[in-house]
Amino acid sequence: MSRLVSLPGALRIQWRTLLLGLAALLVTACLWRPEWPLPRQVFRYMVVFDITQSMNTRDYHLDGLPDDRLGFAKESVRAALHRLPCGSEIGLGLFTTQTVHFLFEPLEICGHFGVINDVLSHIDWRMAWSADTHVEMGLYHAIRELKKHSPGVRLVFLTDGQETPPQSVKPQSDGVAGEISGLLVGVGGTVPVTVPRYDRNNQSMGVWENADIEKPPVSTTVYSEKVVPRLLPSEGPYLSWLDEPHLRAISVETGLGYERLASPARLAQTLISPAYAERRPTATDLRPFMGGAALTLLLWVFGIDKSPVSRRKRKPLP
Amino acid sequence: MSLGFLQPWALLLLVFAVIPWLRHGQATLAYSSLSQVPEDALSDWIDRGLKLMACGTFACLAIGISGPYLREQWVERIGTGAHIALLLDRSSSMNENFTGRYLGAKATESKSAMARKLLSEFVSRREHDLFGMVAFAAAPIYVLPLTEDRVAVQAAIAAAGGRGHGVTNIAPGLAMALNFFVEEPRQGSRIILLVSDGAARIDEDTRDRLRQIFQETETTLYWIYLRNPTSAPLAEKPANPNESTTPEYFLNEYFESLEIPYRAFEAENPNAMEKAIAEVERLENLPLPYQEKLPRKDLSDGFFATALTLLILLIGARTLEIKTWNA
Repeated sequence: MSRLVSLPGALRIQWRTLLLGLAALLVTACLWRPEWPLPRQVFRYMVVFDITQSMNTRDYHLDGLPDDRLGFAKESVRAALHRLPCGSEIGLGLFTTQTVHFLFEPLEICGHFGVINDVLSHIDWRMAWSADTHVEMGLYHAIRELKKHSPGVRLVFLTDGQETPPQSVKPQSDGVAGEISGLLVGVGGTVPVTVPRYDRNNQSMGVWENADIEKPPVSTTVYSEKVVPRLLPSEGPYLSWLDEPHLRAISVETGLGYERLASPARLAQTLISPAYAERRPTATDLRPFMGGAALTLLLWVFGIDKSPVSRRKRKPLP
Repeated sequence: MSLGFLQPWALLLLVFAVIPWLRHGQATLAYSSLSQVPEDALSDWIDRGLKLMACGTFACLAIGISGPYLREQWVERIGTGAHIALLLDRSSSMNENFTGRYLGAKATESKSAMARKLLSEFVSRREHDLFGMVAFAAAPIYVLPLTEDRVAVQAAIAAAGGRGHGVTNIAPGLAMALNFFVEEPRQGSRIILLVSDGAARIDEDTRDRLRQIFQETETTLYWIYLRNPTSAPLAEKPANPNESTTPEYFLNEYFESLEIPYRAFEAENPNAMEKAIAEVERLENLPLPYQEKLPRKDLSDGFFATALTLLILLIGARTLEIKTWNA
């Protein structure tokens, strides 16, 4: 009973009442639904798919996943969609020839998952408005468009990197390396394989032949940087592979990261890495914090007195 | 049940609700002999009541923190509206203004920019419509399924501003837009709103196939034709009718032969375009059952309010406690 002497009972009671009063105040504040903008990590991506026909090449061999490059790329982005935290945003775009076409501006993934997923599954090589592939020009176009509309958005560009017909002129980027951050994703295998050819109804028509491929345009511009075009043989099947050296070179020039698409999980992992995150103030509900504080105070009230308590024993009935 | 929690883990805090039954949480008094205190049923009940209140406070706080809510619910309502497939021309000529001049990619007066601005306003006014979107140039591009997600529709309209490419190939675009209606059960009016500045020849087979789908799906077609002032009005038979030089005239004729509700609006300047869209809006106000999404309903308020009431009662009880034993 020495504690009673050192700490007068009256004071102790006031202390408990004070804690309860404080808890009551916190709970009252909760009824006003307080919010505070706290910085949170979110990701905003514009994902652009190369939909040229070399993306129909079947050189992925993983169980349960599509074996064509475009299908595999779509599946990988879908995996990332499941991994990214709510509040992240994704827009989708297409690339063919030398331009990109954004389907929609980035949308918050949890609230709009249905739409994003539906559009993703409808992406098809037959949406291409033309058949050539000038990857480098397309990428520069994507960067220009993003810079104009939404410079904070990260670019994810999925392509096999193969220029068709082969480059005869090196396009000049009019931007600065790193002005748009993002990732260049190399899709496909490094072993040359044939490219299937389909008609508009997706019926197989064999494979693309070298004879079908347009000859590289002859440039007469004096100012552009000429490249010695890779000469295609004039016969035999047209072969396609992931042109990694080319993509790495572009990645250095644009300041984008480069990664080869090995598995959906790997891409998702990269896309949630803090390097691509943006810290944006998001209105955060303060009620859990204030309610938690009230609960702690209440615990204190009940936990503070460790003095044993004796209870009156019930008298046995006579 | 459509109940959800924002922080389900916080429900673990419910274990603290047993604490008032284990600990008294009151100041203790020294007393010589408890067995001398008479038994008092009322006191015991008051004690139990206080414990129950404290227990309730813990529980309400724990549930309040976990953020309970009723999930979004869909309620069927009847309103005025339609299922509208937007079919947008993305050929390169859409980047020009109405006099046919290319103003550069940033121009706000280009046909494409005007179309986007007016469509965006149209979509935000039409609260109960479902919108889908197809863009077309040489090939049709599936942009959005028929959806009530307005934010997504606006995001797609906003993105349609990029550089257009290639030629106008109308038939596959129409087929893709019609496909939205083939796939869904019939409900309310179905509209294809075609916005284009040109036309193209459609071959005989495709014409027949499209006619059939148009009739089967009972789809209404509105064509907002962004006409260059120099080209001839649709109704005027060109002096030299030829499908490659005046495809618009033939396309209009074909649409009229479809035996479906069809109207063409010729807009040769931004004002006329605005009028055309207003006209579509006036025409399409038929009753339509639509699904309204009730937003998720926050239920934590009730729990915090109950916790507060109990806390006030507990504080009240505390003021009645005796501080010293004066007997």
